[in-house]
Amino acid sequence: MNFSFSDDQVLLRNSVRAALDVQCTSAHVRAMMDDGTGYGEALWGEMAKLGWLGLPFAEEYGGAGLGLVELCLVLEEMGRAAYPGPYVSSVVLGGLGLVLGGTAAQKERWLSAIASGTARLSAALVEESLDWDPASTATTATRTADGWRLSGVKRFVPWAHVADAVLVPARAPEGVSLFLVDPRAPGVSLAPMVGIDLANRWSEMTLRDVVVTADAVVGPPAGAGSLLESLLRRAAVCASAEMLGAARRCLDMSVAYAKVREQFGQPIGSFQAIRHKCAEMLLGVENAHAAVYYAAWALNAGAEDAAVAASVCKAYVSETARRVCGEAIQAHGGIGFTWEYDLHLYFKRAKALEPLFGDAEYHRELIVRHVTA
Amino acid sequence: MDLNYTPEDVAFRKSVRAWLEHNLPRLPIRTLADRRQWHRRLYEAGYLGMGWPREYGGGGARPMEQAIVADEMARANAPAPTNGLGLGIVGPTVIVHGSDAQKERYLKKILTAEELWCQLYSEPNAGSDLAALKTAAVDQGDHFVVNGQKIWTSGGANADWGLLLARTDTKVPKHKGITCFLMSMRQPGVDVRPLKQITGSSEFCEVFMTNARVEKSDQVGKLGEGWAIAQTTLGYERGGRSLARVTTYASQYHHLVNATRRLKRHGRPLIDDPIVRQKLGRIWAELEVERYSALRVLTLLERGEHPGAGGSLTKLSYSEFEKRFMELAQEILGPYGQLTDGAPPEYQLQVDTAVGDHGTWAYAFLWSRAGTIYAGSSEIQKNVIGERILGLPKETRADRTGATR
Repeated sequence: MNFSFSDDQVLLRNSVRAALDVQCTSAHVRAMMDDGTGYGEALWGEMAKLGWLGLPFAEEYGGAGLGLVELCLVLEEMGRAAYPGPYVSSVVLGGLGLVLGGTAAQKERWLSAIASGTARLSAALVEESLDWDPASTATTATRTADGWRLSGVKRFVPWAHVADAVLVPARAPEGVSLFLVDPRAPGVSLAPMVGIDLANRWSEMTLRDVVVTADAVVGPPAGAGSLLESLLRRAAVCASAEMLGAARRCLDMSVAYAKVREQFGQPIGSFQAIRHKCAEMLLGVENAHAAVYYAAWALNAGAEDAAVAASVCKAYVSETARRVCGEAIQAHGGIGFTWEYDLHLYFKRAKALEPLFGDAEYHRELIVRHVTA
Repeated sequence: MDLNYTPEDVAFRKSVRAWLEHNLPRLPIRTLADRRQWHRRLYEAGYLGMGWPREYGGGGARPMEQAIVADEMARANAPAPTNGLGLGIVGPTVIVHGSDAQKERYLKKILTAEELWCQLYSEPNAGSDLAALKTAAVDQGDHFVVNGQKIWTSGGANADWGLLLARTDTKVPKHKGITCFLMSMRQPGVDVRPLKQITGSSEFCEVFMTNARVEKSDQVGKLGEGWAIAQTTLGYERGGRSLARVTTYASQYHHLVNATRRLKRHGRPLIDDPIVRQKLGRIWAELEVERYSALRVLTLLERGEHPGAGGSLTKLSYSEFEKRFMELAQEILGPYGQLTDGAPPEYQLQVDTAVGDHGTWAYAFLWSRAGTIYAGSSEIQKNVIGERILGLPKETRADRTGATR
């Protein structure tokens, strides 16, 4: 039993933080909020060089062969910096999707391209109903002579506008299958869905009779349900790691501010109203840390309670990060409500991730199914 | 990071489980004599004072082994040993701060429950502001004479001895004039009266001291060091039992789930009601987070690190969770949850609560109100977290300087 990071893991975290402190300043985040593509190629290239883009892939695909705990360490730092870019969509949704279900040829084609920074992926995991259960998939897949034809509408597809391929679940007569779709293929149209977190991009992805070849199928045809569930669990924990980072940043900023901001002739941190708020925020952040890294370890190790741990993590961190980031605005007072002050970048990142890959309610239901089974 | 138990820990857990299966008392423990006997069995098996040095009768065990024993006892719903404060607070205090003679005289008898202990800290006007305590110990040359009143004394009615904080100097700031003593409760100057709580039971007592006598040899540490000693003492209460506590919560949770299979609303069992399922899901998520956090604390303890002010986070977290858990359980159970007697078996809580033998939802609910008050209220824990972990400035207080009066 050892619930602490190894020296290598601490080293990784420190190096990610050091790099993002320099290259992903809030000025960079704000510049990307106004940028057409929304992310910086220079930083993306740097991330490839540092090995972050292939972090969870096998070495044969140019990856670092590391696990989910390390991935979450990186993502926590990205949440802390409100990193703008297709990291989660490419490495987690697309990359881990292929790691879990891709054929040798698909992995060969895409994983090394993701790792080297030359390709970006995404996955379209939710439709109008916002039901994250793969069984709810309404997009259809019909067989053609040498492949499939896909039709339907996907919503909240992260970074689809810069993706080279998108994993798309669709319902074939035999069941739900997963397909690799080129978002620039005929019949695919993308429309931006602009949320409050401008450093994060979503699209609506409409497929009208989009033709894909037979080798575009990922995982067992007509049996992609459990593959998608595995992917969703990983995505939920990775999103939680990012929310944790955002929450920790908000806590750090609040504590620093409470030490210097004076009212009534003394620092506001000396008042219990603010001190107790900060203490509660720390408790939330530390518990969220335990939830994220327990789940990351459990999924990685294939522990018996991995599925329920992932749901515990997403249910707990979704609410906790929202609360901590919100309390940070309250502790700051008026300045925390200004566009100019950076707090809202992290507040919005946490909020944007809260409903993705299942919100707290969704995962509480999954928890009860597991516990009472 | 490896959250698997080592093969040694798994084997040890198996041996504890087997021992409990063979040795668990068949009949409910009703008398103090029964409980002492059970305590001795546990001690003889090596399951009490496990972390104490061997030279004083302890087991020199690792924190993980202690946690496993506590956890398996919770899992088996085993009765608690007696002398919890002796084992948890007094013994460790004497080990760290006591003289050789005190260690020789007192420690073994704590382990064997030959002498039961209580803790004489809080007073009617010194609760959260413990350093404001007024009970006075006056030096009479060869002994001290103690006058004053203590309150919230757990186990006071059965105690043979008390770990006492008393004021020995009123001319210095209040934190500096307090001394720690070991005081016999079996003397004419000590009057113990049970205090009836909102539970209807009396786990706590009031203790009145009128010219009570404390020997010079029973002073712990130096004069005026009592506050510093008490600070370390309070820390002993936190961390070690956290895994077992979660296991008890989990047993309670499964009783709750069973009740929701039985209760019906709109013609279907409550367990199929989405609102009830949300509540059940919320409790389990928080309960598991408590377990993960307990494993984090255990990792620190295993490495020989003291959680320090981090113990305040642990205490704040579980005690506030316990209140939310019990409130949600009450919402689900309705008036069944309030029954202290006459509950149909399926709505009973057959899990011992903190103090031993009150297996009802009503008692567990009421008792949950105590956790955020005793051993430093939630508000005090937040002060500690704010000042000692986050480094926030102390509030301006009128009592940090000057004489105590």
